[in-house]
Amino acid sequence: MNIPLGDYLMLSAFLFAIGLCGALSRKNAIIVLIGIEIMFNAAILNLIVFWHYKYFAVPTAYMFAIFAISIAAAESAVGLALVIAIYRQYKSVDVDEFTSLKG
Amino acid sequence: METIFWILSAITVLGALFAIMLRNLVHCVLSLILFFLGIAGHYFLLRADFLGAVQILIYVGAVAVLMLFAIMLTRHVTGDEGPREVLGGKWWAGMGTAIIIAGLLWAIIRKDQLAQILPAGGAQTSMVEIGKAMVTDWVVPFEAMAVLLTAALIGAVVIALEEVIRRR
Amino acid sequence: MAIPILFVLSVFLGIFAYTTLVERKALGRIQNRFGPNRVGRWGILQPIADGLKLLIKEDIVPRRADQFVHFLAPVIAVIPSILLFSVVPVGTRLVPVDLNIGILFAFAVSTVSVLALFMGGWASRNKFSLLGAMRAVAQVVSYEVPMVLAAVAVVMAVGSLSTLRIARAQSGGILNVTNWFVFRPWGFVGFVLFTIGAMAESARTPFDIPEAESEIIAGYHTEYSGFKFALFQMGEYLASIAMAGITVTMFLGGYNGPGSGPGWVGGLISMFWFFIKLAFMIVLNIWIRGTWPRVRVDQLLGFAWKVLLPMSIANIVAVGMWHYLTFRPLAWVATTLWLVLWFVTLSKLAATENVAPRTYRYAS
Repeated sequence: MNIPLGDYLMLSAFLFAIGLCGALSRKNAIIVLIGIEIMFNAAILNLIVFWHYKYFAVPTAYMFAIFAISIAAAESAVGLALVIAIYRQYKSVDVDEFTSLKG
Repeated sequence: METIFWILSAITVLGALFAIMLRNLVHCVLSLILFFLGIAGHYFLLRADFLGAVQILIYVGAVAVLMLFAIMLTRHVTGDEGPREVLGGKWWAGMGTAIIIAGLLWAIIRKDQLAQILPAGGAQTSMVEIGKAMVTDWVVPFEAMAVLLTAALIGAVVIALEEVIRRR
Repeated sequence: MAIPILFVLSVFLGIFAYTTLVERKALGRIQNRFGPNRVGRWGILQPIADGLKLLIKEDIVPRRADQFVHFLAPVIAVIPSILLFSVVPVGTRLVPVDLNIGILFAFAVSTVSVLALFMGGWASRNKFSLLGAMRAVAQVVSYEVPMVLAAVAVVMAVGSLSTLRIARAQSGGILNVTNWFVFRPWGFVGFVLFTIGAMAESARTPFDIPEAESEIIAGYHTEYSGFKFALFQMGEYLASIAMAGITVTMFLGGYNGPGSGPGWVGGLISMFWFFIKLAFMIVLNIWIRGTWPRVRVDQLLGFAWKVLLPMSIANIVAVGMWHYLTFRPLAWVATTLWLVLWFVTLSKLAATENVAPRTYRYAS
């Protein structure tokens, strides 16, 4: 397999940008969470790529990836619980409508 | 191998694009699943078998299913959105940021020496090594992760059940 | 590599076809009737007739359904079930793929089948389908946890995730039998937990609330007909057969039995033992289906979280004790006591409040 490291980095950079775009410009809170998950995955893919190309000491990047996946799982569980709680309060999941802190 | 890489990359990028562009929320989550599967394929290609299986187990089996549940609990079951609801107020800011970041990263990666590296014999980390590392060098982060997951579990239940608790 | 895969695929698809016949016959005997007996002698050609009938039936798609997802769901239902067979070692000389993450791969693949149930139920735009889909997702997600933890016990004891290594670890002993994990205290508890979990995961009858006929018509596949319906059924049966195969590999000694060994003769004998045990698991499933009534939704989820989950965690502790108490009689006594203690406590805690004796108003 002769794929230069740059191709993988490019791929995860594009994925990160797509996730960022979704998280910033969509209105629905669940799609914002989807965007965050895409960004997480792009970052974890980077870690694994660096592990495969032996850029760090060998198990380090792998461990980071495992911990990052667990953190992402915890984050999405809490995030979706928040979405449900907010929906109960506002009867909506549009992030533009959560303006009760506006002065 | 290179062909597999390009096919997987196309699947991943298309899955991610559709996940944030489609109008129907359930379709979004389904294409997000496609994206997760593509990433898992990349892990298998990079010889990180364990992580690939974990990716499918956690993301496809748990996170995506959780998202589908949240959609069912917060929307019309069809998951359709009206035409005016899709984009937020300052959508151009978000897209501009994304494009700028993609361009910057692209420019940096293209110029960097690092990007020319080819794989040096492929790393191999067996399950046994991971297990040993997790209870020796990485035992503190491992325990912290256990505490974090427990806290997240209890927190998620409390947040989602808030009303029921208050009513009692 | 190609020959074992072809062999396994064709053999297991044949087993699937005849499992449907055996199931109908056995349920017939349990319910005091004959079951299919018209097509061929003892109804032996019934599966072929069923397949032909379903192939040429009209395929109806509801007009308001989400056409694409509705089409995709049955396909996705079958693929993971077939992939599951790739890690089941059938004999000492017949292992389709020896992955070093075998068990984890099996669990990862089997979670994907949940999506098919959800997609089918959601895309049909039918409230019964949707209810069935929600029930299916809740059930599969809850029962996966005790199932994985029951498998963790075995993985801890063997020290590997590979199914082949797990099967090898159970060889030896008297007649190649006494080393099966089911003959250990933790292995027996794990076997029961895993069997219950596998049954719930493939929505077999005591746990078939996602497709409970008397409540929600046919659940997530209400709106499916013709070959798409057949694909759903096929996915379900193949998944339960594959789970039976994994249960056999993990607890019932896999292909080990009297006379099994590495040579050609031993290999053939080991395949014989594997298929005998597989048939035993399949018949056990059918027997349970014919015997037990369906559980309620709250009973189902409460059972998973309040009984199975603590029990499987206690089982993991039992494996730890087994590993560190090297004096075997002591290990036997200690782990048995520990598990019995947990079982008694949990069953006391889970017992429902006493139901008052029923008073009959009209019939007494």
